[in-house]
Amino acid sequence: MLLVFIAPALALLVVSQLYPLAQSLWLSLVDWALARSPEPGGFVGLDNYAKALADPVFRGAFGLSCLIALAATSVEIVLGLIVALCLVGEGRAVRLTRTVLILPMVIAPVAVGTLWRMLLNGRSGPINYGLSLIGIQAPDWLGQPVTAVMSIIGIDIWQWTPYVMIVLVAALSTLPEEVYAAAAVDGGGRWQLFRYITLPLLTPALLLVLMFRLVDTFMILDTVYTTTFGGPGFSTHTLSFYIYQQGLRYYNLSYAAAASWLLLITSLSAVGVILLVRRRAQV
Amino acid sequence: MTTTRVHARLPMLDALRWALLVVCVLIVLLPFAYLLVNSVKLERDFQTYPPVLIPSVIMATNYQTLFFDTNNPTFGYLVNSFVVTVATTVIAVATGSLAAYGLARLKLPFHLTTLIALVFLVVRFYPKITTVLPYYVLMRQLKLLDTLAAITLAHVGLALPFVVWLVLAFVQDLPPELEQSAMLDGCGPWARFRFVVLPLITPGLLTAAILTAFLSWNEFLLASSVSSLKAKTLPIAVASFVTDKGLNWGAMSAMSVVIVLPMILFALFAQRYLVRGLTLGAVKA
Repeated sequence: MLLVFIAPALALLVVSQLYPLAQSLWLSLVDWALARSPEPGGFVGLDNYAKALADPVFRGAFGLSCLIALAATSVEIVLGLIVALCLVGEGRAVRLTRTVLILPMVIAPVAVGTLWRMLLNGRSGPINYGLSLIGIQAPDWLGQPVTAVMSIIGIDIWQWTPYVMIVLVAALSTLPEEVYAAAAVDGGGRWQLFRYITLPLLTPALLLVLMFRLVDTFMILDTVYTTTFGGPGFSTHTLSFYIYQQGLRYYNLSYAAAASWLLLITSLSAVGVILLVRRRAQV
Repeated sequence: MTTTRVHARLPMLDALRWALLVVCVLIVLLPFAYLLVNSVKLERDFQTYPPVLIPSVIMATNYQTLFFDTNNPTFGYLVNSFVVTVATTVIAVATGSLAAYGLARLKLPFHLTTLIALVFLVVRFYPKITTVLPYYVLMRQLKLLDTLAAITLAHVGLALPFVVWLVLAFVQDLPPELEQSAMLDGCGPWARFRFVVLPLITPGLLTAAILTAFLSWNEFLLASSVSSLKAKTLPIAVASFVTDKGLNWGAMSAMSVVIVLPMILFALFAQRYLVRGLTLGAVKA
C-alpha cells in the first residue's frame, strides 16, 4: 500500500531524469551526429570519450571550469564566513540586513548575467565610470580573455556568497553557548575561541556549502550564456557551455553526451570525496 | 548569542562590523537600483558618457513596448512562467510529500533506503546538461515539444529530490504515537497521512513549495531546450536578448525587471521559509 505513495514521484523522476540519464549514457557510446545522419550509428565503445579527452577545446573548458569552481568557491566561503560572523544575532537591524543580503541568490542567473553585462560595460558602464573618477583606467572587462574569466568568477561570488552566509549563520546560531562560557573562563582570546572552537564545530556545515558551491560552479552555464556567451573566442567556454554548444547548436549528440558524462563523473566524484571527509570529520 | 556579546564588549569592533555590513548591503543593492534606472531610461541615454545614473525623465516606454506592442509576446511569457511555476510547485509538493511519507513509513531493507538516498543525491548533483538532449528527444517522441507540459515535467524532476528530502526530515520529526493511536482507531495509511500527518507538516510543505517556485521561475537550461515558440518562459526571453544583433538595452533591462521583481517581493514575503529550507541540511546533520 505504501508503495502506491511513492509511485507517482518515482514515475515522474524516471521520465524526467533517470530515463534521459540512461539514454545519454547510451548516446555517449554510439556514433550519432544529427548533421551527418538522422539515425543513430553503431556502437563505438569509448571512442567519444577518447575524442573529448584529446580535444584541446574540451581540455581548456575542463581546466577553466575547475579554475572558476575553485576560485569562486574559496572566495565565497571566506567572505561568507566573515559576513556570517557579523550577522549572527537577533536584533532588528541584523535581521533586516540578512534579508537584504540574500536577494542576489533568489533571482534568475540569466538576469544576473544581463545585469552585470551592463554594469561591466567597458564604454558606458557605471563601474568603469566610478573607477575613472578615482583615476583608474579600467579595461573592457568582458572583452578580454583574462578579465572576462575574472568577471564570471566575480559575478558568481556576488550571486552565491549569500548562500554560504545564510547557511553559516544558521549553523553558528546552533553552536552550544556553554562551550564558549567554559572557554572564556579558561581565558581564551577571541582568535583562540574562533580557531579552536567555532571553526571545528562549523566544519560539517562548511563542507556542505563547499560541496554545493563547488559542484554548482563547476557546472556554471546561465551567467556565462548571458554575459560573454563563451567569448571572446573560447576564453569563457566552461564545460557546460561547450557541451551546450556541441549538443544544441551543432547537434553532435554522441560527442556532447560523452563530454557531459565526463563532467558528471567529475562532479559526482567531488561529491563523494567531500561526503567521505564530512563523515570522517563528524566521528 | 555569544558572538554578539563579545562584539558588544568591544565598541571598535562593533563599528567595524557595521561598516562591513553597510558595504555589503550597498554591493547587493546598487546593481538592482541600476537595473531599475536602466529600465526607465531612454535608449539614447545608454550611449552617453558619463553614464546616466539618474535619468532626467522617467519613461515607461520600455515597458510599453514589452507589454503593449502587438507583435511583442512578453505578456505571454509572463503567463507561461506563472503557469509553469504554479503547476510545478503543486505537482512536485503533492507527489513529493506522498513519497516522503511512504519512504518514512515503509519498512525497507537497509540497502534499498541507501539506494533511494543515492538516487536523490545523483539527481541533485549531476550536470543538467547531460539530460538536455535525451529529454529533448523524448519530448519529441511524446509530441510534447514546445509545450508548457514538457517544461513543467522537467522542473518537477529537478524539484522532487529536495522536496522529498525536505519533507522526509519533517515526517521523521513527528512522534510515532500520533499515528499509532490513529491506527488503533482504524485509520488506513491514506487517512493517517491526510488527517494526522499532513496538518503537522504544513510548514515543511510551505518551505518545499517556496523553494520549488524559485527554482521553476528561474530555470533556463531545460526550459530553453524544449521550447521554441509558444512555450517560452521569462528566462528564455531574457537570454534571447544576448544573441540578438542590435542590443536593445532598455528593453533588456525592463525584461530583467519583469523576471527579477516578483522573486524579490516573494523572497521578502516568504523569507522565513526560504531561509529555513536552504539551511536545513546544515543545521540538522
